[in-house]
Amino acid sequence: MTSDGPSAAPTPVQASRILEREARFRQPTLYLRLALTAAFALAPVLLPSFQLMDLMLKIALFATLVASYDVVIGYTGIVSFGHAMFFGFGAYAVGLSLGKFGAPTYGYLALAFALGVLVSAALALVIGAFSLRVKALFFAMITLAFAEYALILAVQLSHLTGGEDGISPKLPGVFAVSFTAGKVLGVDVNGRVVTYYVVLVVCLALFLTMSRFVHSPLGRTLQAIRDNEQRAEALGYRTFIFQLISSSFGSVVAAVLGGCYAMWVRYVNPESALSIQIMLDVLLMVIIGGMGTLYGGIIGAAVLLTARTLLPDLRAVGTLMFPGSEILQRLTERWLLYFGILFILVVFFFPKGVIGTVREVLSRRNAAR
Amino acid sequence: MPAQPLISTRHLTIRFGGHVAVDRVSLDIEPFTLKSIIGPNGAGKTTFFNLLSGQYRPTEGRVYFKGVDVTRLTAAARTRLGIGRSFQLTNIFPSLPVLENVRLAVQAQRRMGLKVWRHSRRFPELEDRAYEILETVLLQSKWNALASELAHGEKRKLELGILLALEAEVLLLDEPTAGMSLEEVPTIIGLIEAIKHRRDTTILLVEHKIDMVLALSDSIAVLKDGRLIADGTPEAISRSPEVQAAYFGGGATGA
Ligand SMILES: Nc1ncnc2c1ncn2[C@@H]1O[C@H](COP(=O)(O)OP(=O)(O)OP(=O)(O)O)[C@@H](O)[C@H]1O
Ligand SMILES: [Mg+2]
Repeated sequence: MTSDGPSAAPTPVQASRILEREARFRQPTLYLRLALTAAFALAPVLLPSFQLMDLMLKIALFATLVASYDVVIGYTGIVSFGHAMFFGFGAYAVGLSLGKFGAPTYGYLALAFALGVLVSAALALVIGAFSLRVKALFFAMITLAFAEYALILAVQLSHLTGGEDGISPKLPGVFAVSFTAGKVLGVDVNGRVVTYYVVLVVCLALFLTMSRFVHSPLGRTLQAIRDNEQRAEALGYRTFIFQLISSSFGSVVAAVLGGCYAMWVRYVNPESALSIQIMLDVLLMVIIGGMGTLYGGIIGAAVLLTARTLLPDLRAVGTLMFPGSEILQRLTERWLLYFGILFILVVFFFPKGVIGTVREVLSRRNAAR
Repeated sequence: MPAQPLISTRHLTIRFGGHVAVDRVSLDIEPFTLKSIIGPNGAGKTTFFNLLSGQYRPTEGRVYFKGVDVTRLTAAARTRLGIGRSFQLTNIFPSLPVLENVRLAVQAQRRMGLKVWRHSRRFPELEDRAYEILETVLLQSKWNALASELAHGEKRKLELGILLALEAEVLLLDEPTAGMSLEEVPTIIGLIEAIKHRRDTTILLVEHKIDMVLALSDSIAVLKDGRLIADGTPEAISRSPEVQAAYFGGGATGA
């Protein structure tokens, strides 16, 4: 009775969707997103300091990495501890293809990304095929074991990976350190700046892709599986296939980001690309920002990385201003401890993370109207 | 010979440890009829449903759907074949909106779950259909609420709506009115009657409300301690001494 053509009165659902469509250019979140993109794009122009550029791009990279983890854990409900390993694969693919073997050409750069993506997709499929059907805890443990094993391999196979010392890849053409193309808007356009913008565009593209992914019919099915796997199955969904797609997709995105990371820092070693610390950071970030929000990663990454970068500086300032103040020094030495306490408080009072809590408050307010 | 039964079980048995929950049950369900399964609490009715819909694998015995052995198929595969079920303990997607709960079922029925290139809002026909179903189960005013925020009786209606969206050939209804308020029950009975009168769907109903069972059923099977102790027309069943003792005598009460 609703599909009698345009003459039939719209149902409340249709009416509400029409309103939403009309209001889509008046959404504050749209402008927030645009402003954020502009901030990342303009940072090197407005404040040409390498430290700031480095911080901004790392926030962009990690925010996207956290979003890709959120697809797996927040939208599908799969707990993986191997996500950072795929990031490491992407990084090592660039390191190996442009540093250890191969040469600094665009061809090898493309090959590096192709390799990182293929290896990650293949391994994610294999791990998933063998352990997704079993208990959720089993998957978490298997991925942790693989991540640990990958780290050990990277250290041990030093003739291949450079061991603890790692690899410093050389980038081709416009990405090379030596590349310059004069000044634009008062900024030296060199290899660094080009890399910054290319990586930023990749992050943005990946973010948009993930946003489409989670809002597609497939993404909705993933949320159903997260909510109630047994029920999703009773609807006829092959839940296993969906979980496999989700975890492989997240892994592939992580691999691309790892490659970008290696391009930016121009260095890959086990600690910076494969250590469990990265996985812990990603976990912290997704919890701070909120799971199942995609955008939470931006907050999580910004908070954690800014704190890491700026707090040691603040300490230095503090020591300068109050020389001899031993108490202050003692106190600031333990900033990580305070951060830990803050983290526990956040989890305790905002279990849905920052974005999750904000969304909840907003939707309550809408419902109350 | 009459038409082949739509679902048959042969010596269907499941054991949990030493306890035999369903014990060598052989039952035929004729197409386009409504069969009820009654029996005291713990008789094995829900477990029998779980064996039909694939939630459990039997210890022994077989399940046939249209003459094909489906004993080894997963729950998802059986749903895709046309065996849909609702659950006694409400089984919905709690953190998703009511409309989305039903939309996901419509999406499954139309095999559109793997589409990934377009936004799900680009398929408004799924939402339109889901809303129609919400109207059928009288839940349309709640379409925008989260499923977890519904009252108990409303959740039961949603459970039914999700099942209807599957447009399955066989509906396994496990106590669809349990926990509903008295005013809500007639709506659901009316709904089941309407489906029955369409004569295109086979219904298997588990219910404790004996009046409802007698009024709706073409045939009734009685389970007790996992065993099938009677199977026949409502008249025959209501006259059987064992059923009399359980339902009409002083023993266990209905509802
Ligand atoms: N997964 C299981 N593990 C162990 N025992 C089970 C399991 N499922 C069911 N049972 C047992 O099987 C028996 C039958 O249970 P079932 O839920 O099928 O009864 P029922 O006829 O649906 O009862 P009710 O009318 O209360 O819903 C019960 O004794 C129950 O404890
Ligand atoms: Mg039961």
